[in-house]
Amino acid sequence: MSHSHSSRVQKHIGDPISEKPAVDQEFLEEIFNDIQSDFRFDHELNGCLNCGICTATCPAAHYYDFSPREMVQLLWTENLEGIYDAMQEKIWACAQCYTCAARCPFKNSPGGLIMLMRETAIKHGMESAKSVLRPFSRVMLKLISTGNQLAPDMITPDHFPDWGPNISKVDAPLKLLRKAIPMATLNTTATAWEVNLKTSIELYTIWEETGVLDQLETIDENLFDVIVDIMDEKREDLEDWEDEQEDENDE
Amino acid sequence: MTKPILVVGGGPAGLAAAHSLSALGKKVVLVEKEDKLGGAPILSGYAKLVPSGEWAKDAIGGMVKRVEDSKMIDVRLSTTVSELSGDTGNFTAKLSSGDEVNAAATVMCTGFTHFDSVNKPEWGFGTHQDVVTTTQVEQMISSGKGVRCPSDDRKPKRVAILLCVGSRDRQIGREWCSKICCSVSANIAMEIREELPDCHVYIYYMDIRTFGLLETKYYWKSQEEFKVKYIKARIAEVTSNGEQLIVKGEDTLVKRPITIPFDMVVHAVGMDPNVDNRVLSESFDVDLEPHGFIDRADSYGVVGATSRDGVFVAGSATGPETIDDSIAQGKAAAMSALECIQATK
Ligand SMILES: Cc1cc2nc3c(=O)[nH]c(=O)nc-3n(C[C@H](O)[C@H](O)[C@H](O)COP(=O)(O)OP(=O)(O)OC[C@H]3O[C@@H](n4cnc5c(N)ncnc54)[C@H](O)[C@@H]3O)c2cc1C
Ligand code: SF4
Ligand code: SF4
Ligand code: SF4
Repeated sequence: MSHSHSSRVQKHIGDPISEKPAVDQEFLEEIFNDIQSDFRFDHELNGCLNCGICTATCPAAHYYDFSPREMVQLLWTENLEGIYDAMQEKIWACAQCYTCAARCPFKNSPGGLIMLMRETAIKHGMESAKSVLRPFSRVMLKLISTGNQLAPDMITPDHFPDWGPNISKVDAPLKLLRKAIPMATLNTTATAWEVNLKTSIELYTIWEETGVLDQLETIDENLFDVIVDIMDEKREDLEDWEDEQEDENDE
Repeated sequence: MTKPILVVGGGPAGLAAAHSLSALGKKVVLVEKEDKLGGAPILSGYAKLVPSGEWAKDAIGGMVKRVEDSKMIDVRLSTTVSELSGDTGNFTAKLSSGDEVNAAATVMCTGFTHFDSVNKPEWGFGTHQDVVTTTQVEQMISSGKGVRCPSDDRKPKRVAILLCVGSRDRQIGREWCSKICCSVSANIAMEIREELPDCHVYIYYMDIRTFGLLETKYYWKSQEEFKVKYIKARIAEVTSNGEQLIVKGEDTLVKRPITIPFDMVVHAVGMDPNVDNRVLSESFDVDLEPHGFIDRADSYGVVGATSRDGVFVAGSATGPETIDDSIAQGKAAAMSALECIQATK
């Protein structure tokens, strides 16, 4: 079943107490349609028994005023204003651990639905998305420009005091440990940010084609400009290198 | 010389079918896998039954005796059917004992299997001794021992009953409602409150399905008279703090996660298809429905019809059923068997 051209949005009844809708009805519908028309939506929301096992099992619900059951109910009952409200703050409390999906007796994925709401919040440049992502601009810079946020040798106890004693599990002879990984890892622990030129360009093409760059432009224009500069530079580098190769071949 | 009718399974449905046929002057061969008759209520030692309030050993025990005393019924205990060949009026059943039975028709009353709670490890059964099933509590009551925590025999002060264990759960491939466990749980809750008036009993539910008239006798009564508390929440985990069990859930009305200590947690286990059903489907050549119960080929015209002519089915072999409905179906399937024999004469 596809929703790309059809809407299941019911005619909105409105809040009988409030004088006027805080947000334009058409905008609320557009937001909901964006969430619901995603091909994952029907796969992740089958119905809801309102049982609360997702919330009971959710680590985020223990610390924040946030309940995955509530998110699922808002989507299932097509409560457009409630969905919009939740997107202003609550959806960002989810840790994306997917314990809820492993427990839901209806086989829903509350975490997956929250991801759809987040993607929609980003697409529409909602202030909540901007402010949540602002402290992560350095992380995003590294991730988008190199494909890596961390090199293994950066995981040291000094950098991660919040990990507590668990840090000892990774604070080990890394070179040795990595040899045990069955896939090819180049056995390097320090070069995560040194990405092959061609790989970088391929990565950038993926970001462009999948809309990641558009999303970035919507929520953080400055960072977008910085990253586009880096991308242009690398693309020029690759072109120069290719020209050099051709020159060498011609000789 | 008329051939007997083969009845397979000696639970409430099979006992009813065998009795009815014998009362109408038909010979019956009753094949039962276990070494005694009575089905789940006897084999699992249920206490007072829903909705009659009679003790299982009296109510179902009476049905067993009636069958054992009948000269028309040839009971074969500790026996199964390995192959059923032939057609209506002339079936041949090979038994596990080596015997062969020539029968005019067959009624399958092979029942269900209790859900095994170890398949929901997060709810603590098999890990914590004081996590038990409704079947175990039934046995505590019917044995006269009373409801006690298995770990140290103490009287529990706080008991949580978790509904829908092994039912209505797509994670473990069981979408069906087992139909009787809400009422059985309310019944058990009242029995606990009766025996241990100081004990608080909480029932954690997704929906309460004390269907039809059971609503008054179980849902209302357990609250009004016995002060059983109903909380709308599906439990996420049962753990232990070394002394008590810790139940983690969401109170869906106040919308907050909750962790609550209990002395005893009871799983209201559901009704699975009989574990033998795949084998039974082969040896009797009958179809199963998508959940794995024996498929009923006709809902209205021929009661108890299976996909094979002359082979009928009754009771919880077809899906979750109550005892009284299983008995009614057993009688109805017996009647269908007689009708079809008559028609082929
Ligand atoms: C915890 C619990 C409490 C319950 N309490 C109540 C209650 O209070 N009131 C109520 O109405 N219902 C109650 N029920 C439901 C009740 O158990 C069933 O309705 C009833 O047992 C169904 O009867 P039956 O004859 O169809 O099946 P069963 O009772 O399962 O009997 C089937 C018989 O067939 C035999 N059999 C199985 N396989 C084979 C084979 N391959 N060959 C030969 N024989 C075989 C079995 O050994 C058994 O004797 C309860 C269920 C549970 C789980
Ligand atoms: S994925 Fe999100 S909503 Fe689901 S359990 Fe984890 S934190 Fe909670
Ligand atoms: S676990 Fe599934 S069915 Fe239960 S409340 Fe959450 S989403 Fe709804
Ligand atoms: S009868 Fe009640 S406890 Fe049993 S499966 Fe149905 S809803 Fe759950």
